[in-house]
Amino acid sequence: MLGVNVFSLIVGALINLSGPGSYIKWGFIQMSVANLILILLMLVVLALAMVIPFPHRPGGKK
Amino acid sequence: MIDDKEIKDTKIDDEDVINHQWTTKLRRKAVGELPPQKLLPDSQPAYVSSWIYVFGVLTLSALGVVAISGGILAFFGPSWWQQSPEGHFINSLHLWSVELFFFFMVVHLWGKFFMAAWRGKRALTWITGAVAFLVSIGAAFTGYLSQQNFDSQWISTQGKDAMNSIGIGAFFNLMNFGQMFMWHILLLPLLVVIIVGVHILGVRVKGVVPPIGTFEDKQDYAKPWSGKVRPYDIIKEGVIALIVVSLLSVTLSVVFSSPNKAPLTIQRWAKADPVDFVTTAATELAGTSFSGSYGPPYNNGTGALQSIGPISLQKIAGVRIPINSAQDFVLQPLSTIPNNPTLKDALITYESATPSLQNTWNSSFAKADTKLAVIGNSISVPKGNYGPIPILMKNLLTMANTGGLDSDLENSHQFYGTDYTKPLLFMADGSYMATLAQQDHLTGDQWGMMNETDKWPGQPWLWLYTMWYQIPPMSTSSNADALVMSIMVLLTLGFASIPFIPGVRSIPEKIGLYKLIWRDFYKDQNASK
Repeated sequence: MLGVNVFSLIVGALINLSGPGSYIKWGFIQMSVANLILILLMLVVLALAMVIPFPHRPGGKK
Repeated sequence: MIDDKEIKDTKIDDEDVINHQWTTKLRRKAVGELPPQKLLPDSQPAYVSSWIYVFGVLTLSALGVVAISGGILAFFGPSWWQQSPEGHFINSLHLWSVELFFFFMVVHLWGKFFMAAWRGKRALTWITGAVAFLVSIGAAFTGYLSQQNFDSQWISTQGKDAMNSIGIGAFFNLMNFGQMFMWHILLLPLLVVIIVGVHILGVRVKGVVPPIGTFEDKQDYAKPWSGKVRPYDIIKEGVIALIVVSLLSVTLSVVFSSPNKAPLTIQRWAKADPVDFVTTAATELAGTSFSGSYGPPYNNGTGALQSIGPISLQKIAGVRIPINSAQDFVLQPLSTIPNNPTLKDALITYESATPSLQNTWNSSFAKADTKLAVIGNSISVPKGNYGPIPILMKNLLTMANTGGLDSDLENSHQFYGTDYTKPLLFMADGSYMATLAQQDHLTGDQWGMMNETDKWPGQPWLWLYTMWYQIPPMSTSSNADALVMSIMVLLTLGFASIPFIPGVRSIPEKIGLYKLIWRDFYKDQNASK
């Protein structure tokens, strides 16, 4: 029983996302802040993936 | 006695037969195209030297976590993920691994576009990637429908119009949980795995596309790479990616959990807004509700009949899920109530009346609905020629308040029930459900198809589909769903055909981001010169 209770506590959300969400409106475009964050994160990750040097430099044998 | 010559002749005959067997030919073709060193390479071209390349394997790893968490959910069943904290946690794991799957796939897709990865006879690899993305959207959508919460209910009632408008609503009925669940856990995952498998084999057979500008002759891009290579441990890369994605999924699930807004029931609706319930039920009885006058696949109405120019696929598909709103939502459920002589008389009076008299009663009741009041289970309307309608409505309200109407419409008098078409259509005809959806930014004019309830991220990958509904003429057209679906079919074909569209296929070269991706290769190439 203790295991189940501890597990329940662990799996409870640390950051509670229940409750009314926030939305942005730009002209006819409407989007939840959560979705906007996700899209911006994708763009950031794409940019970082292209900019950050890859550890394996070209070279090696033919 | 068989002599040596006979044995030799038989051997030659056998060899000839074996050489012409389908199995032999297939094996030779497969081994020729995909030798072990191509399937499990230990080195790869030196130009594969950018973080952008890891998003393919990250996507595959996320798909693995999606499959494992989905398998656990399937093993324990729907009640488990709804009612136990452990089940809810695995549900969260499934949701976040899906978010990661799309996250990595979109970045992978952008990267491949900027690299013009279809060059050198690799168009099939691009096409299978694009199709995998689109089928995954369908798989994820059926997952959202299978959550069994308010979000599932709302998007099923809204999305059905798009399916109906192109004539597939009966075969892909978003309000039929059993059907959607089977699509979600069997048919679509199978399709995703097959397409992704073909995509991966395409990458293995053709190899990773060489950087733009490597060769003068375009045909050379299709030839096996003969330049510099570097060691590559594909198994190690896969294991690391799986560990990273698993840890990310678990962390996101522990930190954010997943949404689970309780589904709406007819009982809850009737208790929260009895006036809306009764006025909606009255329109169902009159056949003037949205469902009652909808058209195919439910009935022969024209209220939601859509066409593209002169062609109506909805009409061609015909009535496949017959719904008679008066019979199915009002009269039939009331006929199951026992020991109520007043109700029995009212039902006989209504059903034996001429259509013209029924019309008169229904019209009078509809005119009085602004003055309708409900106290407990009693209905108060100004005096008028309503026939037996007030008695019918009072009893239907009582039935709804006890939960009897939910169970009647869900199960259709069978013990087992997984089809929620009727109760969902009934609830969507009222305004209470839409009010709840409005509060959660789920309605069409709020780009609701992208959103999840509360503060959770939803399905941002549906932005393009949702956007068309906001733009004229779709924003005002009665054929909006048919138009949007047609546009999406055209765009889908265009997206998959990018390798063949002059101008579009040259965009990556004009943008020039490939120079950043392959900067090490170009630097090395210049140094060699």
